[in-house]
Amino acid sequence: MLRYIIRRLIWLVFVLVVITAITYAIFFVLPGGGSEAIAQRFAGKAPRPEVVQEVKIQMGLDKPLGIQFFNFTKNLFIGDQYGWPGLGKSFTIRQPLKPILMERALVTLQLAVGAAIMWLLIGIPIGVLSALRPRTLFDRFAMMFALIGISIPVFVLGAVGLYAFVYKTHLLPGTGYKPLLEYGFQPWFSHFLLPWFVLALLYAAFYARLSRANLLEVMGEDFMRTARAKGLTERRVIVHHGLRASLTPLVTVFGLDMAGLLAGAVITERIFNIPGLGDLAIKSIGSQDVYAILDVTLIAAFIITFANLVVDIAYAFLDPRVRYE
Amino acid sequence: MKSVKRRTIVAITSLVVLALVAAACGGSSSSGSNANGSGAAKGGTIREELQEFGWTSGFDPTGEYLGTAWALYDQMLMRGLMTYNHRDAAAGGDTPVPDIATGPPTVSEDGMTYEFELKTGVMFGPPVDREVTSKDIAYSFQRINTASLSALYGNYYCGVITGMTCDAEKVDTAIEGIDTPDATHITFHLDAPVGDFLYRLTMPATKAIPEEVAKCFTKAGDYGPYLISSSAYMFMGSEDLDISSCDTMKPISGYDVQKGMTLVRNPNYDPASDSTEIREANIDGLQQAINTNYDDIFQRLLDGEIDVAAGTPPKGVLLKFETDPTYAGWLHADPGDRTWYATMNLFAAPFDDVHVRKAVNLAFNKEGVRKAYGGEKRGQIATSVEPPAVLSLSESINPYSANTGAGNLDAAMEEMKQSRYDLDKNGVCDDGGACDDILFLGRNVDPWPEMDQVALASLQPILPGLTLKEVDTSTGYTTLQQMKKLVPISLVPGWGKDYGSPYGFDYYIFHSDGIYSCTGASNYSLVGLTKDFADECGIGAEYDAYVQNNGEVPSVDAKMEECVGKPASQIDQCFAELDTYVMETAVPWVPWIWANNWTSVNPTVNQYVFDQFAGTMSYINSAVDNGLAPENVA
Repeated sequence: MLRYIIRRLIWLVFVLVVITAITYAIFFVLPGGGSEAIAQRFAGKAPRPEVVQEVKIQMGLDKPLGIQFFNFTKNLFIGDQYGWPGLGKSFTIRQPLKPILMERALVTLQLAVGAAIMWLLIGIPIGVLSALRPRTLFDRFAMMFALIGISIPVFVLGAVGLYAFVYKTHLLPGTGYKPLLEYGFQPWFSHFLLPWFVLALLYAAFYARLSRANLLEVMGEDFMRTARAKGLTERRVIVHHGLRASLTPLVTVFGLDMAGLLAGAVITERIFNIPGLGDLAIKSIGSQDVYAILDVTLIAAFIITFANLVVDIAYAFLDPRVRYE
Repeated sequence: MKSVKRRTIVAITSLVVLALVAAACGGSSSSGSNANGSGAAKGGTIREELQEFGWTSGFDPTGEYLGTAWALYDQMLMRGLMTYNHRDAAAGGDTPVPDIATGPPTVSEDGMTYEFELKTGVMFGPPVDREVTSKDIAYSFQRINTASLSALYGNYYCGVITGMTCDAEKVDTAIEGIDTPDATHITFHLDAPVGDFLYRLTMPATKAIPEEVAKCFTKAGDYGPYLISSSAYMFMGSEDLDISSCDTMKPISGYDVQKGMTLVRNPNYDPASDSTEIREANIDGLQQAINTNYDDIFQRLLDGEIDVAAGTPPKGVLLKFETDPTYAGWLHADPGDRTWYATMNLFAAPFDDVHVRKAVNLAFNKEGVRKAYGGEKRGQIATSVEPPAVLSLSESINPYSANTGAGNLDAAMEEMKQSRYDLDKNGVCDDGGACDDILFLGRNVDPWPEMDQVALASLQPILPGLTLKEVDTSTGYTTLQQMKKLVPISLVPGWGKDYGSPYGFDYYIFHSDGIYSCTGASNYSLVGLTKDFADECGIGAEYDAYVQNNGEVPSVDAKMEECVGKPASQIDQCFAELDTYVMETAVPWVPWIWANNWTSVNPTVNQYVFDQFAGTMSYINSAVDNGLAPENVA
């Protein structure tokens, strides 16, 4: 197992380097890019050559591309003047990126975890109940909910949510992020409630369908029949045997969904004015803030790759059939 | 003869300056809500939301090149030798007035020395807590002169003030042409007379900066979060900045580029050192918060949760403003000193023929494009390059008067017939090689696609080969900047003034200095391009073809230098001649609108004033009646 984990960690580093190289290539090699073009974007509306040159020096763009890439990856692994890992400085914000990314990652984490709790609490019970009462009125309503939830884009759901709960009824306070430690529980919670719900609804619908399908499949398995034959109560059969087996595949999906969200729930963050990683990614792309884009991309890649690893390891514990050698 | 001329220049300059000061201090011009010294109720906090600040240089005044930042510096945060009255053009908002200078400068006979006396009692805000001196003004010029601080408009000073080159390695390098004999006097020595020098002294980079704080920030943009006030307001939390050493300084809490800024009154500000004509300072504070949801910003404005929102309202909200009497007066459209235009490349066929460029000017449906843009409230149909608030004579420059706005196809075809690209002289560009598949670069963001179509429809009768390609705004500009691409015609660009004198508008777009490199130009039409530069950038053949067919490449460099060297009173007339040459001889543009800036305000704003210089709401002279203290809003 240890050898497997080490192998996967090495693979993770390799993936990060490759992604860095690809992102670099997008900005520096493809047409319309390059050090000169990037520097010009930060040299004002009248980019005089001497100012462009100074910008290049300050951004480290005056070096050959290979050296730039080497310096970036070197700083990433051994740290830069702003600490470890070396994530550089934003040329738009004019501040070191590490604290900005950490602060924003924390915001995104709150959004993702809250939404995840909500979608698990909504999606799995609905899926399980639907599986236990297939083809009933509840099942049909539940699956209709799932279909609607999956079909409505987040930006529509967000706008409708804002209209219904904020602008029209004023039941919720509106957009923005109110840090827990600064504003207290109520403002923090009430500002997150709608984004959590909007994000959760999409995933809850998917999880309801998935858990229903899995449980229905498991219910017909031999070991379920054996459990019943042993004289176990129906409740014990379902909870201890059925649910465990049927929910194991959800772990994979959950891990990747969480990873995707942690890498930035771009649309939700923009609609609800939540300063997370997704919002930073959009802003950085708009302003061609190369290092910010590279860092967000790397963080996203790291989280997703790492989540994959965690999911694989978790599988070994959850499913006795899985072993890594 | 020369001496007499210079004496005349100096005398006229002095008279003009005196007149400007008198106009500014006399409070003679007022109208409607822009009444000077209106006696509006004090208090409240203006709450504004915006999607992002969008600074170009981290809000460091030395390099920052964004109008909204200039508004904050000039109105609220910083004082320099000269400023504006922060009102609209009709009230003199584009005319420099003394700020911490006691009055107009003493100008030498040769027009090359400007001596200022400074007021006493102008204080830096906490934690610096000391009087502003001439050294603080000189220091701001040393910052401009320092290469690592990337003063984006440093060319207005470097090569103008003796010894300024914008390439100094250290900030503490003294400038030969700036003397500070004592704390209240400063003298500028110029290399040549510059008639709009006072305008240049209004720019934010020239405002007083305390060395004891700014010395810690020697890279472009770094000083922004630590900005020390010398004016009526300051960042909230400024008093907590520990300036005992560079290491102890942490960004001021009232400003976070990712979240917003809160300005509060500067306790050290003495209104007696200022004028209510310039700064009424009615509000207790200003909060600008970041909200990434544009629709939400305007909804919050409608709900009274914020007081101000700049920019174009979402369609639903705009409809309310325009049709619902409840919202009458919410939307303000003020002349933004910005021209939107179609640019034509002098070296791209068929626009390398002036008759084609003139024909385009005659055919272009400006009314239609404006309608697609949003209608009359969007601005005035442009007949020339410079907005009237910058050059009042602009409205009288109208060489294509046959086009009254909707385009005049007959006149355009007549013009086209004179072109070498109209082979059969029927008023249509039909020289296959040059007239087929001509790139028309447009934008793909609303409402541009509709505008592109209207423009195209008006031009295709004479240029049937035009082919529309739409890109995002940023790509549009970067494409135009690349000389070798030789984009024939584009509706992408617009241009705004740097300061309210014509040179501050024309310089970067028509002077050959506006072609900085092969991949960086704001002079997209390439007026004044030289043979050497054309060769260097790989369009030597196109340059040669132009010269062979047309003779000399049109240039305004010499005329521009002549104009800017004239005394203030003669500058406008000289630039009117220059602009006439641009419109009639060079013909690089079809200017189609002198655009307005839109600001939406809730009725809580009970006195709305527009700042012509910055092109934004004048926070300093407006008033709000929401009873909010800034610390409760933040």
